Amino acid sequence: MTSLRVVGGLTAVVLTASLGLTACGGGGKASDGTFIAGHPEPDHLIPGNTTSSYSWDVTDELFENLVSLDKTGNAVNAAASSVETTDQKVWTIKVRPGQKFHNDEPVTAASFADAWNYAAYGPNAFEGNDYFSQIRGYADLNPEDEKAKPATDKLSGVEVVDDATLKVTLDAPFSQFKLLLTHPAFAPLPKAAYTDIKAFDNKPIGNGPYMMDGAWERNKQVKLKVFAGYTGTRKPKNKGFTWRSYASQDTTYTDLRAGRIDLMQSIPAAKVPEAKRLMGDKALGRATGTFDYLGFPLFDKRFDNADLRKAISMAIDRNGVNKAVYGGEYTVADSLLPPMIKGHRPGACGELCTYDPTKAKQLYDKAGGFKGTLELYFSNAQPSYEQWMQIVANSLKQNLGITDIQFRKIPVSDYLSTLSDKKEKGPYRQNWEADYPSAQNYLEPQWHSDKNRMGWTSKEFDGLIAKGNGAATDDEAVKFYNQAEDVALREAPLVPLWIWKSYGGRSTKIDGVTITPFANGLLAHEVTVK
Amino acid sequence: MTEPTRGKEPPRHVDPEAIGDAASTVGVGATAAAVAEAGGLVSGQSASLWGDAWHDLRRRWIFWISAAILLAVTVLAVFPGLFTDVGENENCDPNLSKMPPGGDHRFGTDVAGCDYYAHVVHGAWPTLLIGVSVTLFALLIAVIFGTVGGYYGGALDGVIARVTDVFFGLPFVLGATVILVAFPDHGIGAMTLVLVLLGWTTMIRIMRGQVIAVKDADYVQAARLLGASDFRIMRRHILPNAIAPVIVVATLNVGNVIASEATLDFLGVGLQYPEVSWGLQLNQAQSYFVDHPHLLIFPALFLSATVLSFLMLGDAVRDALDPKLR
Amino acid sequence: MWRYIARRLLQAIPVFLGTTFLIYTLVFYLPGDPIQALAGEKPLSPSVVAALREHYNLNDPLLLQYVKYLGGLFQGDLGETFDGQQVSDVLSGRWTVTAQLALTAWLFELVIGIGLGVWAGLRRGSLADTLVLGGTTLVIAVPVFVLGYTAQIVLGLNLGLFPTAGTEDGWPVSYLLPGLVLGSLGLSYVARLTRTSIAENLRADYVRTAYAKGLTKVRVVGKHTLRNSLIPVITYLGVDFGALMGGAVVTEGIFNLPGIGQQVFQSIQLKEGPVVVGASTLLVLVFLVVNLAVDLLYGVLDPRIRRD
Repeated sequence: MTSLRVVGGLTAVVLTASLGLTACGGGGKASDGTFIAGHPEPDHLIPGNTTSSYSWDVTDELFENLVSLDKTGNAVNAAASSVETTDQKVWTIKVRPGQKFHNDEPVTAASFADAWNYAAYGPNAFEGNDYFSQIRGYADLNPEDEKAKPATDKLSGVEVVDDATLKVTLDAPFSQFKLLLTHPAFAPLPKAAYTDIKAFDNKPIGNGPYMMDGAWERNKQVKLKVFAGYTGTRKPKNKGFTWRSYASQDTTYTDLRAGRIDLMQSIPAAKVPEAKRLMGDKALGRATGTFDYLGFPLFDKRFDNADLRKAISMAIDRNGVNKAVYGGEYTVADSLLPPMIKGHRPGACGELCTYDPTKAKQLYDKAGGFKGTLELYFSNAQPSYEQWMQIVANSLKQNLGITDIQFRKIPVSDYLSTLSDKKEKGPYRQNWEADYPSAQNYLEPQWHSDKNRMGWTSKEFDGLIAKGNGAATDDEAVKFYNQAEDVALREAPLVPLWIWKSYGGRSTKIDGVTITPFANGLLAHEVTVK
Repeated sequence: MTEPTRGKEPPRHVDPEAIGDAASTVGVGATAAAVAEAGGLVSGQSASLWGDAWHDLRRRWIFWISAAILLAVTVLAVFPGLFTDVGENENCDPNLSKMPPGGDHRFGTDVAGCDYYAHVVHGAWPTLLIGVSVTLFALLIAVIFGTVGGYYGGALDGVIARVTDVFFGLPFVLGATVILVAFPDHGIGAMTLVLVLLGWTTMIRIMRGQVIAVKDADYVQAARLLGASDFRIMRRHILPNAIAPVIVVATLNVGNVIASEATLDFLGVGLQYPEVSWGLQLNQAQSYFVDHPHLLIFPALFLSATVLSFLMLGDAVRDALDPKLR
Repeated sequence: MWRYIARRLLQAIPVFLGTTFLIYTLVFYLPGDPIQALAGEKPLSPSVVAALREHYNLNDPLLLQYVKYLGGLFQGDLGETFDGQQVSDVLSGRWTVTAQLALTAWLFELVIGIGLGVWAGLRRGSLADTLVLGGTTLVIAVPVFVLGYTAQIVLGLNLGLFPTAGTEDGWPVSYLLPGLVLGSLGLSYVARLTRTSIAENLRADYVRTAYAKGLTKVRVVGKHTLRNSLIPVITYLGVDFGALMGGAVVTEGIFNLPGIGQQVFQSIQLKEGPVVVGASTLLVLVFLVVNLAVDLLYGVLDPRIRRD
């Protein structure tokens, strides 16, 4: 259930597949203009009530936000005609007129306000609740005392001026708000949703280019067909498609090869070399913005020493891991930001991310070494985690002389609560995929003193982030974010390891496959079917 | 429903050798089938049963082959130093990952770039240890409680049988996950405990059925008339005559336990670093086997040979113990 | 007979309660916070956590949770999953898949297993016998995931004999390959069981008598040996059917069959108590019934065993 968005891509590199060879295989028999894509089962189909990227695979097609991302990660108006602010705090949004939900209900400012209020209201227990926390009035809907009933169910910061105008007031200036609006949680809902929210989850009605073709068949598939009343820019080039659910990525890949499905977004890492060899240009590689990190529990005195943390970071042969486990496909981290994000500086990480056993050993000795058992934490969600941890463990043993190393492979359901309860006694695997493509979203959630898991506090870092959030221009914001990045790198409470690369695959039946590295993922409307 | 010691598909299936009837006190239907596989109702044999069996075994080539393989594997497990100078997880270089056999590495290297030959050698110990110790502990439980339950009958037997049923109904993965959480190192000890706790139910049913079949035999009655204590009757008269099928099942069981351990690894709740085992290696190899077959072939060869030897040994012992087949 | 059935059913009650309680306890003590796991790496508001915990009775002590669960159970309410579905809906959907898979595997065991067993048993010591013995031993020795993936890639993908995965082609086509993989183990056991049983019965006195009476081999084997030899085999097949109904986590996973085994495995990973307990409870019931039926059947097949 980790929201591993196994989707990614270089800013510019949007993989539009070239012409296929011959038309054999493919999911359907006679072509009816539709195709089948395979992915793991979603958990919900209401955009505000999920953090699963597999749910977003579906909801992105069913719904359209005020602002959406283009192929390169810029925020562009979608359901909105304009989003404006003067102080980064009060935002005025104009909703483009003439838009409809799949049931012909008009899309108005209230469609958004009501949906946001519903998701932000604590007792509704929507998983996307936290994304609304910067809007004024959020605290009233989610009181400190968890037993208390909130006094109101409306966000005071969301004001419907008229059918076409929405005014949003934030608690503090936030320059990245327009990007935040691209997050799936900010989708509108029709009035029909509130009468029976559970039934709605099985057959959601949205305002996007596709609509449900029958109800969600759990553990089996979600069928989508083209919505004729769609007026936006994502006009489908196909007649509809199906998301088929798979319990195993290996099996999804086998089915793709057998021609039983037409598309998958992420071939398992171990199968990538084989897929490239067998599928040729139908294996679609793309860089992503998904990071793996090694975090340190600073609340454990033994790790409260920057030299020790640096020594461990420098003793890890990132290139070796990349080569052994990921076939050399991943990008070894050289910064806290991926190359596709504005503000990325090549080599910002410096020697901290560079394999140097000698220097590492010196720092290790300087720090006074490490006593006791070194426990390494990760979850059992993917076999590759254990594989790279094994190499890390071998490196630490060989380069630093730490002999007593043990694994703590934690069941998925327990892993994140182990970390949030600070029960870990050693370095742990951390993973992050941005909610929206902004330097702020890579830095603040993971290092901010009130939010990080490491038990690290830095007034300096927090201050710089606040300055960036309040900045009037993007360039100015990035300047502060970069300064904050340098602080985080200097102290190294959480060290970056590598950035994922994903491989999708397609059958010969379809073409025009574009998978972005962002939350919008597959651009299904661009797929053409032979 | 749960048959852990079977290894193949943990959360399903009964052991054929122990088609226990989950709720009958008599258990005729179930155990009869088990006994048929295991070697017929061994009631009222002469004391020279084991001697005859040994005589018979010596003439079977299959016995000698499996014994030889098992001896070799045991030597490998106990004295890995005789075969390799490289320790577990030593001299690994990720830049030399998945090298094919040849040169410095006669079995090639694994994903982490460690010498595969050394790792296959070191993998023998945990694999064999778990297989044998799980079976021994389960056998011990089966012999003690099966004998007591079968001999005394009544309420005590009822309780033992019901507890067995309850454990029988436990989903294997659930039990394993919960128990392994208490032992975060997921070491050999923890694995043994899990497999014993979830795997003792098979043999106890057979043991109990055998004891019931034997306890009314003439020589037991005679011993009782002569004033022998219950303990003496169980130890001297019942146990030797009832244990043969259980021993056979136990031999077959070792192989199942080994395969079971591999399946637990596959499900992500098995052994972990710094341990190495054939199950772990198989599991890792499975995703790479099209491009790097050596990763699968070597552990599979060793694992299959070992499991096969145990099964063949069990077969041979069964045939030797069964007077009807001689 | 009826008294026997009644006694057996009565005995099932403590087993039923014991099993459900044990499973409930194990799930309760599974580590981790299911609610936290729902949100993955993303932050979850405390108010949302509180609301969800309340909804799923996660704040109650173990015994109270169990009693609430039992209470619901008697009203036919099996509870709710963390993604808001009724457990009864989830299980019934999954059970149809499992039942089809189980039936396929079971038929393989029955037909091929007995066939091979008879073939080998009648020719003990021959090449056929050695082949069957060796082959079945090999199947038992290889872990199921190796067998499953190999069958999928070789028979499904490379040779194209079967669909690689999924249920789209319906029964029986979609279930043939997974059924064969799942049934291969039971098949091996059935073959070995039949072989031993036949070989033993061929030496029994009544067979010698039959031959002495001048009956043909076909008649002796067909009429006398088979019938007597199959008693333990049928018993095994009966109980194994109950076991197959329990689902198969590995086979279902490899072949993407949304059956009960996958569900229980996922629910364990997510600490989804109601599903695990619900599925196991139904399983225990199925198992108790099947066992009773098998024991009764055994009495029918072998008149020497009476039920009083």
